[in-house]
Amino acid sequence: MNAKTLTCKVAGVGAWGANFENWHDLQALLCGQPLPDKPQKGPKPAIIPANERRRAPLPVRLAVESSWQAVQHAQVEPASLTNVFVSGLGDTDLTDYMCKVLASENKELSPTKFHNSVHNAAAGYWTISTNTMTAANSVAGYQESVSLALFEAMVQCEAEGVPMLVTFYDAPVSEVLKPLLENTHAFAFSLVLFPSVSDHGMAISATIREAIAPEWPTLSAQSDYLQSLYTSNPCARVLSLAEMLMQQNAKHDAITMPLSEQTTISFERVQP
Amino acid sequence: MGIDIIDYESCSAAGVNLAQLRSSLAQHKSGLVKNCLTGSDIDTWIGKVADVDAINDLKEWQSRNNALAALGLEQGSILNNVSALIKKYGAARVGIVMGSSTSSIDRTETAYQALDEAGGLTTAFKQPLVHNPHAPSLFVAHYTGVKGPSLTINTACSSSAKVFVTAARWLNLGVVDAVLVGGVDTLCLSVLHGFNSLQLLSANPCMPFDHNRDGINLGEASGFAILQRSGDNANRTGIQLTGYGESSDAYHMSHPHPEGLGAKLSMTQALERAALKASDIDYINLHGTSSRANDLIEGGLVSELFPKTTQCSSTKAWMGHTLGAAGITEAIICMDVLLTSLMPGSMNLAQLDDAIDFSIQAENLTKNCTHVMTNSFGFGGNNCTLLFSKER
Repeated sequence: MNAKTLTCKVAGVGAWGANFENWHDLQALLCGQPLPDKPQKGPKPAIIPANERRRAPLPVRLAVESSWQAVQHAQVEPASLTNVFVSGLGDTDLTDYMCKVLASENKELSPTKFHNSVHNAAAGYWTISTNTMTAANSVAGYQESVSLALFEAMVQCEAEGVPMLVTFYDAPVSEVLKPLLENTHAFAFSLVLFPSVSDHGMAISATIREAIAPEWPTLSAQSDYLQSLYTSNPCARVLSLAEMLMQQNAKHDAITMPLSEQTTISFERVQP
Repeated sequence: MGIDIIDYESCSAAGVNLAQLRSSLAQHKSGLVKNCLTGSDIDTWIGKVADVDAINDLKEWQSRNNALAALGLEQGSILNNVSALIKKYGAARVGIVMGSSTSSIDRTETAYQALDEAGGLTTAFKQPLVHNPHAPSLFVAHYTGVKGPSLTINTACSSSAKVFVTAARWLNLGVVDAVLVGGVDTLCLSVLHGFNSLQLLSANPCMPFDHNRDGINLGEASGFAILQRSGDNANRTGIQLTGYGESSDAYHMSHPHPEGLGAKLSMTQALERAALKASDIDYINLHGTSSRANDLIEGGLVSELFPKTTQCSSTKAWMGHTLGAAGITEAIICMDVLLTSLMPGSMNLAQLDDAIDFSIQAENLTKNCTHVMTNSFGFGGNNCTLLFSKER
């Protein structure tokens, strides 16, 4: 059987959701801390210039907020990172806006909303706000968005020998598509990955194997909110990896995710 | 890096398959027609693939985008070659990387025109695997039986150029033994009315790099190529992917960088990776959308970077700007120059823009070429350059 192992180091983490505003708060929730009294509305990432931020759609603000946190956590220049952005569902609010206008008599679209509707809007706003001229990939993997984006980022990290930013984000689904795509939660999570030769960061490995795809791993955290987030938001499936990354968490030192119909990807913390 | 191109096929208004595309290119036969898309009254020209209209048996996978992907996969020897590779390596050792900008939003638009009284989706449109941005890869995996990693790249108009780069990395690291790469994008109201809102559409057939160009024409296309590590398959085209560049403009969501800094990075990276000089490049298939801004900026850069011995053209007057499918459509035209020695001219070019100082003309030329390059630039300032060479 062919198995291939990729390695890298996790040097920075960023996270944002309605009940946590950074990786520190998310870890507390994953450890069983109660939810805050009141959920927050969307993030307002300061790195996007104010005039642009007003026009930036929620998925973009989610992605940029957690990306900025991860970059600061890793203490790197954003422009030094090569980027992979993933959303499993896209911007369904803008899809809804465009499809409603286009189903009506007057089909005039807002030019700003149209250019914001591209799937790589988050990558665009991020590279513009941080003056990043490296490659920015924007990908989709529906229910496998998390495993595919981690795979793509670790492949790029190893093949090109460059530090990476990988950001996972999905916003609540608009009313018409909700019965199909389900998600009602805003969520974003980012990792800064260094090539494994680097002195910094937590070493992890990813092994790709041929096997019938398993179910997604069970999330240890039991709160209704986290369980609902984990099952309905395709990008929140990264929470299983987040639990593995938590320093104090010894329960998961390896997890296996479905990568495709007949391949799996297993992540492990590599002991120094 | 050593990546062999095993096979390729193209489906656009300029020809439903590669054989027809070659004949259209040779005869300067454009596929552009006056806008006839149902529900759209915009005064422009489009590159529509008429044969897609008849494909309506895809059941839960039905969308115009998936139909165009299916039509493309049925051309030439692509499906046979994918089946042979699955048999040889196993379905899990073959990957898919698809590029698209619209995915299947055509179907979502249609669904919204047919909502029930309560404003909900009607039965025929309850298609979760279609109404999401990963739809092209999900469908192509279903259609071909590929069961290895399959990823969709959605970086607007550079999408299906970047698929070659991602596939090359997967192959070089040995996570798969073959990759089916593709691009598919269909004409729909979102793109026609969206580009119209940006005042980028022309009411005339587009004329890239012409002094009097006044905008773009949109088109639809699907294209596929099979990639393997060098030497793994004796049955191959003799063409290799030898270089690539990927960059960001860091400038604006829908305007290119005024000095083309990002585009310059992607072209110079591709040359460096292939260890070639600008003077080694025989032919460049330019992004050349026929918009005032793109052609001026790309034209200026190519004038600065490449000598007059490098022949250039934009082929968008044959099938229009096929957005997320443009990268692979033009990669195929570019690769095919290495096989046919026919360098397509820049159709509709009458009076060259004064700011342009590189070798370009309307007529086709014949030359035995060794190295060719193609540019794709997308919204969000997303750039990709591919470099293909004849196998030594």
